[in-house]
Amino acid sequence: MISRRQALIGGTAALMLPLPARPAAPEYRLSPQQVADGVWLIEGSRDSFGPRNGGAICNIVMLATQAGAIVIDTGGTARHGAALRRFADQKLGGVAVSFNTHHHPDHWFGNQAFADRPIHVLPMTARLQAGNAQALSDGLYRILGGWMSGTAPLPGKPLPADDGFGAGGRDLRLLALSGHSQADLTLMDRATGTLIAGDLLFLDRAPSFPDADADRWRASLDLLAGLPASGIVPGHGPFARDSRAFVQTRAYLDGFHDRMARAADLGLAPSEALAAGPMPDFAGLGANPEEYRRAVIQRWRDFEDQALPLIGGSV
Amino acid sequence: MTLFLCHMLDNGAAGLAAYGGGAAPLAGKGEDPFDSGMWDLHRAEYLGDPAGWQADRGMRVLAPRAAEDPAHVPVIVDATDVQGRVQRIVVTIDYSPLPLVLVFHPGRAQPVLGFGVKYEIAGPIRATALADGVPARMGGAFVDAMGGGCTAPAAAHARPDWQEDFGQMRGRLWPATGRLRVSIRHPMDTGLADGIPAHHLTGLRLLDGQGDLIASVDLHEPIEENPALTFALPPDLAAGPVRIEARDTNGYRFAGEVTA
Repeated sequence: MISRRQALIGGTAALMLPLPARPAAPEYRLSPQQVADGVWLIEGSRDSFGPRNGGAICNIVMLATQAGAIVIDTGGTARHGAALRRFADQKLGGVAVSFNTHHHPDHWFGNQAFADRPIHVLPMTARLQAGNAQALSDGLYRILGGWMSGTAPLPGKPLPADDGFGAGGRDLRLLALSGHSQADLTLMDRATGTLIAGDLLFLDRAPSFPDADADRWRASLDLLAGLPASGIVPGHGPFARDSRAFVQTRAYLDGFHDRMARAADLGLAPSEALAAGPMPDFAGLGANPEEYRRAVIQRWRDFEDQALPLIGGSV
Repeated sequence: MTLFLCHMLDNGAAGLAAYGGGAAPLAGKGEDPFDSGMWDLHRAEYLGDPAGWQADRGMRVLAPRAAEDPAHVPVIVDATDVQGRVQRIVVTIDYSPLPLVLVFHPGRAQPVLGFGVKYEIAGPIRATALADGVPARMGGAFVDAMGGGCTAPAAAHARPDWQEDFGQMRGRLWPATGRLRVSIRHPMDTGLADGIPAHHLTGLRLLDGQGDLIASVDLHEPIEENPALTFALPPDLAAGPVRIEARDTNGYRFAGEVTA
């Protein structure tokens, strides 16, 4: 039988065990794959931001050139950026230039590691990066903890107005679009025909809508679908040589629109639309149902005013 | 039984069940399922320290697990499974600097109310039903939040012309389900944002075609900017018309009417 004294000692000893803590400096493990000649893809996790992925959720593309890599998006934290930079330095002869496709933090919070070379963004993206850096950073420190250590967001520099860009013998076509956010940069590698779509395309991962304008997004998709691409890198999800990312992204935009319009038109409260969960066809996508729930809160007002006619005012 | 309408969307009934249906976590008799420090104080302050209160999983509260936008956290409460005729539903937020959200007097309406709140810090939101001859029944949900919702200026103040559509009322009645939704453009200033005095709606009521009271809500600072409220009416009242009247701290009055 355990005496009271033994029980107390056991209890005290248990209290003295170190708390299981998150590692202070967890490691990013990259799995780069060459999807076309000189086109390297480092695919992100298909989940939302979380302590299990360290914010490494978006796709990073590096194009090999004689002058070093052209880096498209720089990762979600300073240390993610540093890991990406090591790959570029060790395998691709350093970095020539970087781009951020838009201002959402998973795509540019790694900029610090690339700051010795030019980092190009659309002019609107530069403004949004500067204006939202603090709030985005506060949110990510809270979600990611130690993964974020050392991250001090560094906005990019506005691009000169031009639709072409070349470095180290590699030519890119640049397209300034919008719809997923206020400014979405899409790049086409002329040598291989690879379309690097940023977050205008998602595949097997639920699209995110914090700054979405569905009509503009659809118009951007129409334009991109007309390009002669040999392969497509979506912002999130796998590389594909077919048009699945277009089909899926359009269907998700339409499906979400229909579900919100129907919910508002039937008199549902936003909390009910949220709890009902995503469209059945898309319930299994990466990052769902979380991304759907976020989207209901972000976009509900777009639909509510449509469903409620004016009935009065101040008297 | 619940009057939530999630089932009207594809797979929505399964979605609601997977979400937990709005039931609070299980707790023993007389125990707080959220084990949170403010409940004892708020029970005394806003509910008159009711004897024999209980957590009740039939007192449903649907809210997001994470706030996403601390200025607009959508919530809906359904007390149709609470025993007895519900007189009042009191909604409080545990760690808010302004804990009292609203007091709903369902009257002749169903004991169902949807609304949006501002969140200052993560914690539980609770709805407590006070019914005739029955101990107080509490339900709730934990909402994770970065916060700042109560101390940030209303978005309206970023627009020089915000007063132009101030007070604009939108609404609609759905006779088949008894739903009534109404929204009012109002900054709902809490008084906690720098240099902006408190200015918020204080009450809203529903009246039938004869001008008799159906239901009323006392509204407080944590209600979201440009609030939208959701009611459920029994079949006799769902045919309309229903007049909606509201007032605010500055003496403004607002009115509108919905018909089937």
